Amino acid sequence: MKKMTRILSSVAAGALLFTFAASAAGCAGSSSKGKVLRVYNWEDYICEEDDEEYGYVDLISAFEKEYEEQTGTPVTVEYSTFGTNENMYNELKINAAGYDLVCPSDYMIMKMIKEDMVEPFSEEFLTEGDYAKYASPYIKGIFETNTAMVNGEEKPWADYAVAYMWGTMGYVYNPELVDKEDLSSWAGIWSKKYGNMSTIKDSVRDSYFLGVAYVYGDELTALAQEYKNGTIDEKTYNAKITEIMNRTDEDTIESVKNALLDLKQYLYGFEVDSGKQDMITGKISINFAWSGDAVYAMDDAEPIYDEETGALISKGIYLNYAIPEECSNIWFDGWVMPKGANTELAEAFINFLSRPENAVANMNYIGYTSAIAGDAVYEEMLDWYSEGEEGDLDEEGNPLVKYDLNYFFAGVEGGTYNDYSIWVSEESLDRQIFAQYPTEEVISRSAIMQNFSNEETAAINEMWEEVKGLPIPVWAYVVIAVIAGVIVVAALSYVYKGKRTAGKPKKGYKLLKRGA
Amino acid sequence: MTKLHFSRKQLCIPYALFLLLFVVIPMLMILFYAFTGEGADGSLTFTFSNFAKFFTSTAKLSTLLMSFTIAIISTAICLLIAYPLAYVLARSNWKKKNVLLMIFIMPMWINFVLRITALRELLDLIGLLGTQNYLNTIIGMVYDFLPFMILPLYTTLEKLDKSYLEAAADLGGNKFTVFTRVTFPLSMPGVISGITMVFMPSMTNYVVSDTLSNFNITILGKLIDEYFTTYDNWHMGSMISIILLVIIFLTLLATGGFKEDKNNARGANLW
Repeated sequence: MKKMTRILSSVAAGALLFTFAASAAGCAGSSSKGKVLRVYNWEDYICEEDDEEYGYVDLISAFEKEYEEQTGTPVTVEYSTFGTNENMYNELKINAAGYDLVCPSDYMIMKMIKEDMVEPFSEEFLTEGDYAKYASPYIKGIFETNTAMVNGEEKPWADYAVAYMWGTMGYVYNPELVDKEDLSSWAGIWSKKYGNMSTIKDSVRDSYFLGVAYVYGDELTALAQEYKNGTIDEKTYNAKITEIMNRTDEDTIESVKNALLDLKQYLYGFEVDSGKQDMITGKISINFAWSGDAVYAMDDAEPIYDEETGALISKGIYLNYAIPEECSNIWFDGWVMPKGANTELAEAFINFLSRPENAVANMNYIGYTSAIAGDAVYEEMLDWYSEGEEGDLDEEGNPLVKYDLNYFFAGVEGGTYNDYSIWVSEESLDRQIFAQYPTEEVISRSAIMQNFSNEETAAINEMWEEVKGLPIPVWAYVVIAVIAGVIVVAALSYVYKGKRTAGKPKKGYKLLKRGA
Repeated sequence: MTKLHFSRKQLCIPYALFLLLFVVIPMLMILFYAFTGEGADGSLTFTFSNFAKFFTSTAKLSTLLMSFTIAIISTAICLLIAYPLAYVLARSNWKKKNVLLMIFIMPMWINFVLRITALRELLDLIGLLGTQNYLNTIIGMVYDFLPFMILPLYTTLEKLDKSYLEAAADLGGNKFTVFTRVTFPLSMPGVISGITMVFMPSMTNYVVSDTLSNFNITILGKLIDEYFTTYDNWHMGSMISIILLVIIFLTLLATGGFKEDKNNARGANLW
């Protein structure tokens, strides 16, 4: 779901096929010695290329090499990919013992934990591993406070899952054509003003979230007011938002259906992957997007200047990213080990990926935000986003603003900075850095979407089917009626003609027969 | 050395194996899934509920109706464009007409997803994309499946015995009568072939509708895909496949009714 389609995805696919062939060949040769780690991940969701200029490292080969050096045992990574959480889940149901490490999204992780499909992590991994050292305390906190029921026991997610990538949902928009003010509410795109200018995801869960945020907009705004006034504390505020955003009662589903059907008339359309590209080419001006895709779209849409002369090479637009004030969705993709997995190898692989320098390679390649903190990641962010230091001025002469990232980076092993902040110009606050790391204020109003029960999921799917399938234009009925009419007339005339000519042989035949 | 001898039966073995593995077994699996459902405890039970659900769901029936309408319109337009073309091509005495035919068939040699993506940009350029979703989808279907209509029509008309036409003209038929009474009825097998080859994919080819309508139009193929990949309900997905199969079978049966005389079907039936 949170996959990143790269322009070179076909090349990558080719490379992947090659890797498959190579690993298959490798397997055949070394099946008696060495170990095999079977990883099942989203498409394009790990850095699998070596390229110094872009900061890419082929993490799979690097892991194989390092593991052999450290333990003396050769290891082969069998890497395969999936396109949707549901596909992955079905594959695991059919081929339960086929994988050692899988990377589902948050709600699927909850489902798998609940259904007792995954192995817990070892004590050693949870206390001394590289993930334990370098993962952001903020992310680890979420995994420790959220719980799932396993065999009647309440267990924190952290026992069974570790975060890999994370982010928010919001609107990417073109500030030249769209008022920022309008997108301070999710309802902004329910408007003729932006008719035919916006797309939402062709994905039932994401669109359901949007629908719920629209339907309960007033309630959410009132809550925000209460929080601002200090009547409720942050914890209560967040809990209430989470409750609202996970409502699945019949009335809510019905209202969401009507809201989305209403929205459909204003939309340019739905999209799976084309939204980023359509933003860049200017077909659309607002795109309901995952933060990682937002970063991609903003990066690619920017004007390009010659590094030496400063001359404009290609004209572009500075896109912005907005998270409406009612609430946002905070999502994760994380690693779990299916029952029967080789947990020792799987944990070693996660630890390898969790080292800050490898997380940086991944972030460079995938474009999403890693759950790993650590100074290497922070320094990379400084390199990407920092526009100066405290007191500096931006190009227009305004003082730079402090973008506080301490909530994410502070308190990680080996941290050497006192203040994990980045100084940026004011207009950058709406751009990549905001999509990459939301502010604490956004986080306080972000809800995690829970795993819905099978019945709830079925009801929501049905709602979505209606949103997608309805309404039928009037002319379609006319066409059908005309066709039905033609068929009836044809059938009648056929029967009638048959009766009229039956038993009355044509003259010519008779003559012929006599002649013969 | 003894000569290798294959009896007719033996020659059929490779295809029989293929048939069994890739046609019969999958069909049985689809049937199995279509008529089973998961109980509360996850066990599979025999049920007609998928069938009932399909015909009681507004969304599914609308999708069926929409696919049907789009397929019929696309097929009709294909026929209207392809018939005159095939007729002219078949009747012309021009020696290089194969070259001309090739030009019409050539788009088929370019990857179809690529062609549709290119068409999307083109439609955007002329301002149809995002506003005329139904029109775009139909344009895409016609663009994509036109060669499938031209080919069988051309083959039938090409092989049509010219002496029939001469005889009809000799017996006093004017050009119009010759066409309506002789040429058109004799080209019926090609028409039917063309219709089935365009109608079927137009009901299911959702790459066209997704790309050109920006996912605004759902057709049956898309619905089946959704049930398998995102709704995670293989039973309903299989049931829709079966229903689609039955509809296409019925369409074939209905069009097959025009084939009064087997002798008329002169080779043009491509499949």
